[in-house]
Amino acid sequence: MDALITCCILAAGAYLFYRVRVGLHYRWDWGAVPQYLFRFDAEKGRWVPNLLMQGLFTTIRLSIWGTILATIIGTLIGLFRTSRGLFKRLLGWSYVELTRNIPPLVLIFIFYYFLSSQIIPVLGLDEYIASRDEGTKAVLGFLFAPPAMFSTFISAMMALALFEGAYIAEIVRAGVQSIEKGQWEASYALGLSRWQQIRHVIFPQALQRVLPPLAGQFISTLKDSAIVSVISVQELTFQGMELMAATYLTFEVWITITVLYLILALALSLGVERLEIRMRRSEA
Amino acid sequence: MKKHLLIISAIFFAFLINLKAVAHAGDIQHQLTEESTIEQVLRRGVMKVGMSTFVPWAMKDKTGKLVGFEIDVATRLAKDTGVEVQFVPTKWAGIIPALITGKFDIIIGGMGIVPQRNLKVNFSMPYDYTGMSIVASKEKAAGFKSLEDFNRPDVILVVRLGATPVAAAKKFMPKAQLRQFDDESQAVQELLSGRAHAMISSAPLPAFQALKYPDKLFLPLKENFTKEPIAFAIRKGDFDTANFLNGWITVVEAEGWLKEQKHYWFETMDWQDAVR
Repeated sequence: MDALITCCILAAGAYLFYRVRVGLHYRWDWGAVPQYLFRFDAEKGRWVPNLLMQGLFTTIRLSIWGTILATIIGTLIGLFRTSRGLFKRLLGWSYVELTRNIPPLVLIFIFYYFLSSQIIPVLGLDEYIASRDEGTKAVLGFLFAPPAMFSTFISAMMALALFEGAYIAEIVRAGVQSIEKGQWEASYALGLSRWQQIRHVIFPQALQRVLPPLAGQFISTLKDSAIVSVISVQELTFQGMELMAATYLTFEVWITITVLYLILALALSLGVERLEIRMRRSEA
Repeated sequence: MKKHLLIISAIFFAFLINLKAVAHAGDIQHQLTEESTIEQVLRRGVMKVGMSTFVPWAMKDKTGKLVGFEIDVATRLAKDTGVEVQFVPTKWAGIIPALITGKFDIIIGGMGIVPQRNLKVNFSMPYDYTGMSIVASKEKAAGFKSLEDFNRPDVILVVRLGATPVAAAKKFMPKAQLRQFDDESQAVQELLSGRAHAMISSAPLPAFQALKYPDKLFLPLKENFTKEPIAFAIRKGDFDTANFLNGWITVVEAEGWLKEQKHYWFETMDWQDAVR
């Protein structure tokens, strides 16, 4: 039976490959792709990342900052949702339901065109960046984005964090609520305040339980970061699409992008798996 | 005597009111100048230019540097203004909202003047003319020679999302089915895979494609079937900037510079090696 299924899958793969070769009328040109990953800079005399790798780095930056910010928002809102105060619970509920029930694409458009175009000029972010010295600019460029793209990057990062934060809030809430009532009561009996209960008793235990779903959400953040290409953040998907528009290497570029995302997400998945195994061991 | 006084005071008051109006108009004029995009660009020292990848108007070369006709135009415009140029690559579909919300100062991206678009943004005078051209699949559209051949319900046309090619298709081939794509490469792919009869796009793209795939594609019409003015787009109500741009266009046109650039990017293929 297993052999039959394997054969079927292989046959389907072979047929697909055949169709692509014959039916697609496409002139493959893989030779042109590597130069868009890295190119040799004759001026500097060394290899430098080109379009696609620059895009990949932006994706990584965006995911890291987005994840950090989303975790902060999510933890806060998650705790709000388990709070005893009605106002906090309502606030948490409104945020989660509002964000989760809007398509991410729409959320990002709204955020970029309405909110960020109102907020960022008020903050004077662009002027602030422009007035920094070269060293600061280089550091900010390494951590976030070059000055020219800074405000777009920040809006994308905030939109992504806001969106993912809602899911993280739900994970945190589930984690906190999964802790047995006895733990609350025991810590209360010890005379701990509500904040101390959460800080010393509930949260450490909840953290262990929410790590696996949280890690899954981090991988989602990485993949969802492709959405911000619509507001022209120069991450991997955007760079790829620009490249396709310029070179017409449609399939080669799409496949390259797919592989890059896959490597990134797979590495993250494996890392998380490792972490889980280690945590289980330390628990035992 | 009393009558005289009345007339004189009336004239005096009229004069006062008028003076006030003049002073007020002066304030507004001053304010308008201060707030105009071109003033802000000068103060900032950087001109932010919104553009979208579109061969050979604007594209990235092998080193990731932007090149193309529009890039040359924008660079020269910034140089003549005395400021740095900063390109903001933007998706075509969102380029007008991005201009309106101030993500950049000006669109220099082969944007055609369309009355509907003109209601949303202001255009400079045209600095270039382009036309719609058509490239067809040899397999599906064999023997098609005129626009009439394509104007049939069973014909599928592919275009890039946006106003100009769509409007051209609807006007000249209203009966044909229209499929819109995010960028040209996807539309070309659809045509190459034989799922569409023809693609409509600004010249010279169809001709380039026909040259590249001579065994699959051909040009059914020898000439472009529309003529469209291409202009800079700026936010509405900014006459200072529009006037400056018009002046600049007149100068570079008189120099013959625009024509040279156009020839290099549209009629020669010298730049191809740098891109791919």
